[in-house]
Amino acid sequence: MKVLNYIVVLLSICSLTSCEEVIDLDLNSADPKYVIEANLNDINSTQTIKISKTVNFNEPIPNEPVNNAQVVVIDVAGRAHAFTSNGSGLYTSSNFKPITNGNYSLSVNVDGKEFLSTTTRVPYVEVDSLGILKDEVFNETYYAVTFKFLDPINTANYYKYSYSVNGKPFKFSAVFSDKFNNGLLVTHEITERSDADKFVLGDDVTILRECINVDVYNFWSDLQSINPGSAAPANPKSNISNGALGFFSVSSAKLYNVTITDSSEEE
Amino acid sequence: MRFLSTIFVLITCVCYTFAQSNQNISGYVRDAASGEALIGAVVQVKDTKTATSTNSYGFFSLKVPETNFNLQISFVGYEGLDIVVDPLVQKNFNFELIPLDNVLEEVVISGKKRNNNVTSPQMGVLNFSMDEVKNVPVLFGERDILKTIQMLPGVAKGGEGSSNFYVRGGGGDQNLILLDEATVYNASHLLGFFSTFNSDAIKDVELYKGGIPSQYGGRISSVMDIRMMDGNNKKFAAEGGVGLIASRLKLEGPIVKDKSSFMLSGRRTYADLFLKLSPDETVNKSKLYFYDLNAKFNYRFDDKNTVYVSGYFGKDELGYGDLFSFDWGNATATVRWNHVFNEKLFSNTTLIYSDFTYNVNVSNDNSDFKIASKIENFNFKQDFSYYANNKSTFRFGLNVLNQRISPASLNAAPGASVNTIDIEKKYGLELAGYASHEWKPNDWLAMIYGVRLTDFMVRGPGTFYTYDSDGQPISSETYNSGKVIKHYLNVEPRLSMSFILNQDNSIKASYNRIVQNLHQLTNTTSSLPTDQYVLSSVNIKPQYADQVSLGYFRNFANNKYEFSVETYYKKMGNQIDIRNGADLQANEYLEGELLYGKGRSYGLELFLRKRQGKFNGWISYTLGKSERQFEEINEGAWFKARQDRTHDISVVAMYNLTKSWTLGANFVYYTGNAITFPSGKYELGGKTIYYYTERNGSRMPNYHRLDLSATYEPNKTNKRFNSSWTFGIYNVYNRKNAYIIDFRDNKENPNITEAYKLALFGAIPSVTWNFKF
Repeated sequence: MKVLNYIVVLLSICSLTSCEEVIDLDLNSADPKYVIEANLNDINSTQTIKISKTVNFNEPIPNEPVNNAQVVVIDVAGRAHAFTSNGSGLYTSSNFKPITNGNYSLSVNVDGKEFLSTTTRVPYVEVDSLGILKDEVFNETYYAVTFKFLDPINTANYYKYSYSVNGKPFKFSAVFSDKFNNGLLVTHEITERSDADKFVLGDDVTILRECINVDVYNFWSDLQSINPGSAAPANPKSNISNGALGFFSVSSAKLYNVTITDSSEEE
Repeated sequence: MRFLSTIFVLITCVCYTFAQSNQNISGYVRDAASGEALIGAVVQVKDTKTATSTNSYGFFSLKVPETNFNLQISFVGYEGLDIVVDPLVQKNFNFELIPLDNVLEEVVISGKKRNNNVTSPQMGVLNFSMDEVKNVPVLFGERDILKTIQMLPGVAKGGEGSSNFYVRGGGGDQNLILLDEATVYNASHLLGFFSTFNSDAIKDVELYKGGIPSQYGGRISSVMDIRMMDGNNKKFAAEGGVGLIASRLKLEGPIVKDKSSFMLSGRRTYADLFLKLSPDETVNKSKLYFYDLNAKFNYRFDDKNTVYVSGYFGKDELGYGDLFSFDWGNATATVRWNHVFNEKLFSNTTLIYSDFTYNVNVSNDNSDFKIASKIENFNFKQDFSYYANNKSTFRFGLNVLNQRISPASLNAAPGASVNTIDIEKKYGLELAGYASHEWKPNDWLAMIYGVRLTDFMVRGPGTFYTYDSDGQPISSETYNSGKVIKHYLNVEPRLSMSFILNQDNSIKASYNRIVQNLHQLTNTTSSLPTDQYVLSSVNIKPQYADQVSLGYFRNFANNKYEFSVETYYKKMGNQIDIRNGADLQANEYLEGELLYGKGRSYGLELFLRKRQGKFNGWISYTLGKSERQFEEINEGAWFKARQDRTHDISVVAMYNLTKSWTLGANFVYYTGNAITFPSGKYELGGKTIYYYTERNGSRMPNYHRLDLSATYEPNKTNKRFNSSWTFGIYNVYNRKNAYIIDFRDNKENPNITEAYKLALFGAIPSVTWNFKF
């Protein structure tokens, strides 16, 4: 929640003397676990699913790709779509554009293990207006892309945002629910505070906005609520069976492209 | 209500039977200069073992010989009194002791009963007066009772600069913190860096870790009983201080000399003043401060009736420009009536109100709303002490506690981009009755045994849900106002005893069961003011703890040194944790997010203390373990509680170098907290995600720190006006203790993941100017 952000900012004022230092930690290692990232949407007709294994914390690779899995998605109409491996942990299926709302299921078979999941595609909630917000926090300038829209009052709605800056790969940004603003005119601000990724003047930013199912929301919400002050961080609750990490989502989505400028909406 | 009336009838009967007395004397012991009641002063028939000590109101009762005899009254730091008493002529006394001008003198009064810590049956208790700890070095030079408590054995610190504490492996919400008998819910300011207790207003503190007497109940790990100063009833006095981040002022004086006095004490921090210098408009309009007010008034009608009214009000304000503000604070009010029925029967009737509230205001372009939460209680207590004879003291009483929790509600302005959410209030009524007997059957045995009975009633109005094993609501029922939905009846036996080997040696043992009906939910490592409280309900069962402890107590060198070893084992039931990813904010189905399990902790505590002389202080060491078990967490296996500390060492030393200079030093070392660190990593949505296996399977780095202080008190030139300077350095050798450890991708190579630490305080100098007149 936003309130927490303010607290963090204010805490950082009182810790003027604080200092940051990279340290060596002897962390426990763990047996590798399968990670399935099945994020399907209706942006284009080629779908990609990524399968990998966890690696130990100190390894200089982000994950270990898995290439020997059988991956099948069954759509609302009961048609099976087989996904084929491209050799780098990615599995693709062309001519598959999930545009119908309803239930989809996933099965992944690998090394004698079977991982299953079902999810529901929900309708898209259209955006009324798009803007850029400039915010100054302690002499640091941050730009946010804003989405204004009317949240449907009769359903619980969940939104997920990812961003791509200047054509780089998409990164997850945030998920939102309408718990506090169901049925209202809502504004979502999408920004990035880390130095490496923050939006700067002239950036060409593409934002992927997805309307998602509650399970997928819970998964990402668990992840985004973990911070160094969490009493006990844990793995997010996956909607895939058999102890796999990751999630299966079929969303209704749209892409929005903006160039960060000062001329538009300002605070 | 039948329960209540039975107890009441019983107590009335007991009063009448006990209301016959003979050859007992009673009275009060007070400070001759200020009229403050002296707690724990020793009253003794000279050259005999007939002795007692004053209670928390300075009252004593003693069975005495019928003829003339010499009575001695003594208290640390005061000139002893030796007077001839004839109980046939006078039975009620008001003794006044003259404070010693210079504490440097090592005063040894012969026959002084200074081995109370050895012979008293009470164990697991630590007490000190504010005066004793005034030279302990502290962060920013702000004297803080909770920070001092943290350096005692069996008490774990909450983290760098934090005033939170954990007693014998228990949770942070399992400490009963009483300020003039009123419950203080949130004992910290500024997100934990300062305690809510302004040291100027405080007289004395007592901390019970085990063998907790039956007059206390409601929190399973400890009781911290803090008493405010009464106020000088002899003359007007002022006291204050100016420090780097806070200033204090206390005023006290008589209203009617020797009969009535007041005390007013205030404190405010100004850490945020430098924000005003910022050119940034949002920053210079930001707020970050707290203030406290303590007030007390008392009136002594006659030797038998005294009324005390005391209150506390404190508030923290935090604001970021006009966009956001957040304030929180406690308020307490206590009215007490001390009545002496006769030389043997002392009564205290108390009415208490206390609350804790927080408010959040957010107003910016796309949101304009308020969040408010409040927890409050009304408490009626009737306590009796019956001093049957010098071998037996009975204590019994009643307690009616009405609690109401208003969970965070969200109030949105019309047209705002959020909806108003109103969460139902929760109600609970707790009736308790207790009785205990302090008994010294012979020279080698002393004991306090007792029992506390509690009936906690879950009350309407409200909607109560039942949940399935995943925490999803399956049914609900709505009840009307006042309806009792459930009773939780509990019997809490208490026992503490000492085997007195000789005047310097004793072995003590204790057992206690305590039940707790108020629970705090936190999912952060440092407790925040926004942490929710819940009462026991249909789903939430009362927490309980059974604790046994065994100890050896020894005094050396004519009671100059006190030494103790205590071991304990504590079993905790109906402990509460929170589901992974739980939604705790404005959630109607909050109880579905809770998990129930159990806990155990055990340990060994060593304590060596010197309370008098030029050189004084203490060394404390704790070896401990604290674990929890929940079916749904860590695959059902026992895991370390976050506050599990293998080793915890504190050394506190104060030295009166000359008449003007006093030096203080403390050193702390403890094993890092148990914490959950990742065991692996993976990638999702273009981000590095950490993979966790074992709950609290790792440790923070060990913590250590040395603080120094020097207090300069110029030789008195002016009789009326005194001032002193305190210079201090916190964390002298600038150790960068890890406050937070977090993980991130390396900047040059994002495939490499690194751990980094944040240290909060390096070496921090401080200077404080104190005055008194």
